[in-house]
Amino acid sequence: MGDFKFPYFFDYPPYFTLQPVQDTREKQMQLWKELILRYCQHHKCFIINLEQEFPLFQNLSIQRKLSFEAREVFLAALVAEGKAEWLDKAHKKCLVLWRSIQEWSEMILQLVRDNAMEDGVLTLDEIQSGDESRGTELAGIDRFVLVRALKLLEQRGKAAMFKGKAGDDEGVKFSAS
Amino acid sequence: MKRRPGISGLHSAAAARDQYRSVGENVARIRTDLLKEQLATFRTQLEEFARKHKHDIKKNPAFRAQFHEMCSKVGVDPLASNKGFWAELLGIGDFYYEIGVQIVEICLATRSHNGGLIDLNELCSMLSKKRRTSRETITSDDCLKAIDKLKVLGSGFEVFTVGKKKLVRSVPTELNKDHNQILELAEVRGFVLVEDVERALSWHPGRVIDALETLMKEGLVMIDDGHPDRKRRYWFPCVSLSSSNAEEL
Repeated sequence: MGDFKFPYFFDYPPYFTLQPVQDTREKQMQLWKELILRYCQHHKCFIINLEQEFPLFQNLSIQRKLSFEAREVFLAALVAEGKAEWLDKAHKKCLVLWRSIQEWSEMILQLVRDNAMEDGVLTLDEIQSGDESRGTELAGIDRFVLVRALKLLEQRGKAAMFKGKAGDDEGVKFSAS
Repeated sequence: MKRRPGISGLHSAAAARDQYRSVGENVARIRTDLLKEQLATFRTQLEEFARKHKHDIKKNPAFRAQFHEMCSKVGVDPLASNKGFWAELLGIGDFYYEIGVQIVEICLATRSHNGGLIDLNELCSMLSKKRRTSRETITSDDCLKAIDKLKVLGSGFEVFTVGKKKLVRSVPTELNKDHNQILELAEVRGFVLVEDVERALSWHPGRVIDALETLMKEGLVMIDDGHPDRKRRYWFPCVSLSSSNAEEL
């Protein structure tokens, strides 16, 4: 994972203030939305908590940070686009879907095929951090997202989740052949 | 010639005048012909020169500028037409046409950031970045020539000077005197505070805010409330070198 490259607007102070003029605001939102998605993908970050500091929302070198309102506006825009979801009614926690749940489920199927596990069994832990997923985008996937993706596969009849014996991790049996 | 008295004398004088006149006309004609011939020779030599140094003219901006000067002295405009001897020989018509198209592209791409006003030097550097594979140096002079060509095509591009900077305008919005004065102030740091403008121009705050709000509506100004001193800054993207990456835009 190389260094993250920040775009030109990140060093330009006005972009850290919500712009009142409609056209300018739209341009600003578009830039921040793309940046949020790209940053989260690069750092494998799935959840943004508005009540905590998030490194992307401030630029110390120019002494600027996004206000709470601005962060909420940008994340809400991502949610409206289907690229994020609020995890709570208060809109304080946001799940960033730089890949859609659908895309994650396809990647799991691919993993299964690549490892000839069409009828095999894997624990959720193994999918998150096992040998099979090492080097793929699945490595480090958020547990919540993983379960959602597997549920999608369940609906399609390609998988069935089960709870392990006491103390064991949850697992999934594939019927993907 | 001796003047003879009487009518015959008058006739002679008239005849003499006629003779002088025709000689005079001849002389004039000879002079013109000579000049035409000289010019023709000069033109041929210029064409020879251009043929020989085509490579240098394309690659070397200083040389190119001198060549243009030579041409204008002789009354030859290499840019006059896209077809025609010069354009074909030097591919110069294409060169400026190409730059013109890229300038339009850059202005369109940056419009949402700077509202349709861009610093000429910034435009030039973005243009060079865009053309970095062709390894030709593009000067601001080349940009101006290309923009001039664009004007002929009626594209609404214009270059104007504010303070120390030349700005290229690619939108119909024209700035009034108040706007220009604020723009000039903004050149110093890329932004202004209301109190700066009040002080520097001795305006009422109302007049300052009015002008700034119009500029904001035109997309030429962005606000910044994030400074630790909590004073609002009005930034002018067209006078800050903030968009350094052409592809991103």
